[in-house]
Amino acid sequence: MSPQFLLRRLLGVVPLLLGISLLLFIIIHLAPGGPLDAYVDNPSVTPEALAQIKVAYGLDQPLPIQYFKWVKSLAQGMWGYSIRSGRPVTTEIADRLGATLLLGGAALILSMSLALPIGIVTAALRRSAWDHALTFLSFAGISVPVFWLALMMQLLFAISLGLLPVAGYETIGSSGVLDRVRHLAMPAVVLSLATVAAWSRFLRASMVDALGQDHIRTAYAKGHSTMGVLIKHALRNALLPFVTVVSMEMASIISGAVITETVFAWPGIGRLFVESMDGRDYPVLMALMIMGSAALVLANLAADVVYGLIDPRIRYD
Amino acid sequence: MLRAGLTLAIALASIAALPVPAAPGAARPDAGRPDVARPDAGAPVRTAAVPAVPVQAVPIYGGALTVGLPYDIDTLNVYSTAELGDIEAAVVEGLLVPDEHARYVPLLATEVPTLENGGIQLTRGGTAMRVIYHLRPGVKWHDGAPFTSADVKFTWETVRDPSFLAESKDGSQDVTSIDTPDDLTVIVNYRAISPAFASTLFTFGILPRHLLEGHDLNHDAYNQKPTGTGPFKVSEFRRGQYVVLERNPFYWRRDAQGRSLPFIDRVIFKIIPSSNTMGALIRAGDVLLAPRIPYMLAKQLQGARNIELVSGPSLGWVHLDFGLKPGSRLRDPVLRRAIAQAINRAALVKASGGYPQAIRSPIVPLLEALYDSSPEALAPAYDPDAANRALDAAGYPRGPDGYRSKDGVALNFWITTRSGEIDGEIGEQIIMAELKAIGIKVSADNKSGIAYREARYHGDFDLLYSRWVTAADPVYSVFYGSHGPLNGQGYASADLDAALERMETSLEPASRRAAASDVQRILARDLPAVPLLDMVSIAAKSARLENFSTNPTNMTDFSGISRWYLDPPTGPATARAAQPPDERTPMPLDERAAERAAGGAP
Repeated sequence: MSPQFLLRRLLGVVPLLLGISLLLFIIIHLAPGGPLDAYVDNPSVTPEALAQIKVAYGLDQPLPIQYFKWVKSLAQGMWGYSIRSGRPVTTEIADRLGATLLLGGAALILSMSLALPIGIVTAALRRSAWDHALTFLSFAGISVPVFWLALMMQLLFAISLGLLPVAGYETIGSSGVLDRVRHLAMPAVVLSLATVAAWSRFLRASMVDALGQDHIRTAYAKGHSTMGVLIKHALRNALLPFVTVVSMEMASIISGAVITETVFAWPGIGRLFVESMDGRDYPVLMALMIMGSAALVLANLAADVVYGLIDPRIRYD
Repeated sequence: MLRAGLTLAIALASIAALPVPAAPGAARPDAGRPDVARPDAGAPVRTAAVPAVPVQAVPIYGGALTVGLPYDIDTLNVYSTAELGDIEAAVVEGLLVPDEHARYVPLLATEVPTLENGGIQLTRGGTAMRVIYHLRPGVKWHDGAPFTSADVKFTWETVRDPSFLAESKDGSQDVTSIDTPDDLTVIVNYRAISPAFASTLFTFGILPRHLLEGHDLNHDAYNQKPTGTGPFKVSEFRRGQYVVLERNPFYWRRDAQGRSLPFIDRVIFKIIPSSNTMGALIRAGDVLLAPRIPYMLAKQLQGARNIELVSGPSLGWVHLDFGLKPGSRLRDPVLRRAIAQAINRAALVKASGGYPQAIRSPIVPLLEALYDSSPEALAPAYDPDAANRALDAAGYPRGPDGYRSKDGVALNFWITTRSGEIDGEIGEQIIMAELKAIGIKVSADNKSGIAYREARYHGDFDLLYSRWVTAADPVYSVFYGSHGPLNGQGYASADLDAALERMETSLEPASRRAAASDVQRILARDLPAVPLLDMVSIAAKSARLENFSTNPTNMTDFSGISRWYLDPPTGPATARAAQPPDERTPMPLDERAAERAAGGAP
C-alpha cells in the first residue's frame, strides 16, 4: 500500500465529513423545538433577554450562516459551549470519552477473543453437538434484550453473590486497576454478548464457505494438520468479510452504548448524546455526531489497510 | 428543573421521578397520609421565630450518606439548572425556605415578611408593595466571607441581567429596585402586589457577590462548584457520575438543643439514570436515600429489609389535557365531559401502587385554604354509562368496529405523555383502554425532552397525560390563563382570567379563597383538562437514616438535610455517640463492606 494512497484517502475524508456535517446540521434543525425552548416558555425571560440569548449562541443568524460559522470554528479548534451546562464542548466530551473508550474497547477485545474461537470451532465441527450448542447460545445472545440481561447480572453477581458492584464507573476515592476492572466486568460482558453471538455466526458462515473450497482439500491432501488448515488456509480467507464487520463495530465504540451505560450508570458518550438530544444542545450534538462519523470513515480506511495485510492479492496504488 | 411557581411546574413535571406517598417503614401505600401537613396556602407563611430544628432522638454526628439521583446534572447553579436543585439545596441557601408543611420559614432572613410584622408594606396607594428582609447576623460563606445585604442585591441584579442565561428568573422582573440601608437589611420594591413573592427569587438561593462580581456567570466555575452558606460544600463533581459534598464545619445553624449542624460528614450524590438500577443499589445498600422514586419502584421495594419508604404530600396533580386549537374535535364540550366521565380514577390509583389519591380539581385538597369541595367545583365523577348516553345523544354513534364517529369522521385521537416515565406510561395505557370502552380510539404518541416540551407548550397534541407541581403559593394563571405561558392547549376564558386575577393579586385570605372557588367552578364547567390524581413524594431510604422528611414543594427534600443523621452500620444508635464534630474519626466512605460484615445489609 503506497503512502500516496493513504494520503489520498485521508484527504478524501475532509469533503466527506463536510458533507456529512451539513446533512446532520439540517436534520438536527428539522427536529421540533430548539435549545431555547426553556426560555421561550418562561414569562420571566423578556423578549429582549431572549434576543440577547440568541445572539450569545449565534441562533439569531440564518441557518446557512450558523453552519458556516460552526465549520469555521471547528476548523480553528473551537467547538463552542454546551448550551445545557455552559461548559466548553471539548471539556464536556473529554469528561466522557475515557469511560466510553474503556467500555467499548473492553467489549471489543472480549468480543473478538470469544467470537473468533467460537466461529472457528462451530465451522470446523459443523453439525456436531458443539456446533448445535454454540449455535443455540449464539442465537440466545442475539435475542436476549440487553437491559434484561444487565438486570439479571446485577441481581446475580451484585445483589446475591456480592462479587461485583451493581453499577458505576469507580469507587469514589479509589483509582486502583482492580476496582476499575470490577466495575467494568458486567457492562463489558453485557455489551459484548450480542456482538460475540453475531460475529461468531458471521465467522462460522465465512469459514464454512472457505472450508468448502478446493485449496482446502489440497491442503489436507498435502498432509497439513487440521489446525494448520483451519488457521492458515481457511481462516485467512474467511477473515476479509469479518474485518469489515469488526471495523464498523470499532467505529461505533466512540458513539457509546446508551442502554448499557444507562443501566450500569456508566458515564459515557451514549448518555451524553441522549441528554444533548433531549435538550437540543446543538453544539454538543454536532460535535458528537461528527466524531462518530469521523470514526466510521477512519474505520473504513483502517479496514482497507487490513485487507491488504491479510490478503497479499489486494494491492492499493 | 426550575423552582418557583411556573418554572417549578415545568421542572418537576419534566423530571424523571414522580413523587408518591408511602408509610414510613413500609408497606401500606397510603400510610402516613394522615400525617400530611396542610400548607397555609392562602399567603406566604408568617413565622416570626427562627426555626428551631426539631430533633426527636439523640442525633449522631458523622457518616457518609449516599444519595441516588435519577437525572444527570447540567449545572449546580440554582438559577441556571434545568433540574430540581437537590444538591444545590444542601449547599446554597435562600432568605426563606418552605418547610415540610409547605410553610415558609426564615433561613438567611430572621423572619418571614408579613403585613402584620411590617415586613410587607403597601405602596403607591395599595397597588404595589415593598418587602423588608432582616438578615441573620454572623452568617458566612463557605470561604469565610461575611454574608450581607449586598449579596442579596447582587443576586437580583445578576438574575435579571439579560446576558445571564438562566431558566429560573421568576420574580426578577417583578422587582423595580432594592435598597440596602445596612449590611443586614434588604428592602425589595415591587412594581405590583405579588403575593407569591416568597416562592421566587430570593428563596431559590443567594449568590456570593465577592466571588462573582464582574464574572461571566454563564461559564464560571461557580456552576460546577458553587459557594454557598449551606450546611455542605461541594468537594468534587464528576460529570455523569457523582457529586461529593463535605460538611461545612462553620455552618451557622443549630438544632433546638443547641447542637451544631449538620450531623452528617459527607453526602455523595450518585447519578443513577435507570430506576431498576436504583432499586438494585438501594437493596445492595450502596444507596442510602433515593428521593422521589417512581410508584412502581416503591411498590417493588415494599417490605425489603432495612429499607423504609417515606411518603409526603406534593403540591402537584396529574391531569389529562385536551388540545383545543381551532379545528380540534375536542372543542366539543359534550365530548370532553364524556371523556372525563369515562376515566376511572380508582384504576389509575391502583396502577400507581395505591399511592396517590383521586382528585377532581386542579386546586388539590392539600391546599385547604383554597380548596372548594362542593360538587359544582369538581370535574365529573366516573360514570361510563352517562358518557355513552351523552355521546349517543350528541350524534356520535358507534360503528361496526365499536368506535364512534360523527359526520363520517371517526373519534380517533393521539395521547401523549413523557416517554420513559413508567408511571405516566401506565396511566396512559389505562386511559386508552377506558376511552376504547366508550367507543373512542386513542393511540400513544409519546415524546421526550424538547420534543415533549414543544408538543406540550405549543398544543401539538390531542390528549396529554401529564402533571404540574406548584410552589407553596400556587399560581394557576400560567397553566390556564388565556395568555398563560404554559397554556399550550389553546384554552381561553375571560371569566377564568378575571377570577385568576382576583386570586393571584390579593393578600387577603378570604378574597383569595372566594376567587379560588370561582376558578375551580369555571374549570369544572369548561373542562379544559381532567384532574385525575394528586401526587405523593416517596423516598426510599435506609433504616439508618434518621430525621428525614419529604418536602411537598419544588424546593426539594434536601432543604432539610442539616438535621438528618445516620445511625452507625452496626450496633445501637448511640454507639457512635454525639461527639463534637472536631473530635470524631471520619466514617469510611464506602460503608457497604462494614454493613455487610455486620450482617446489616440485605
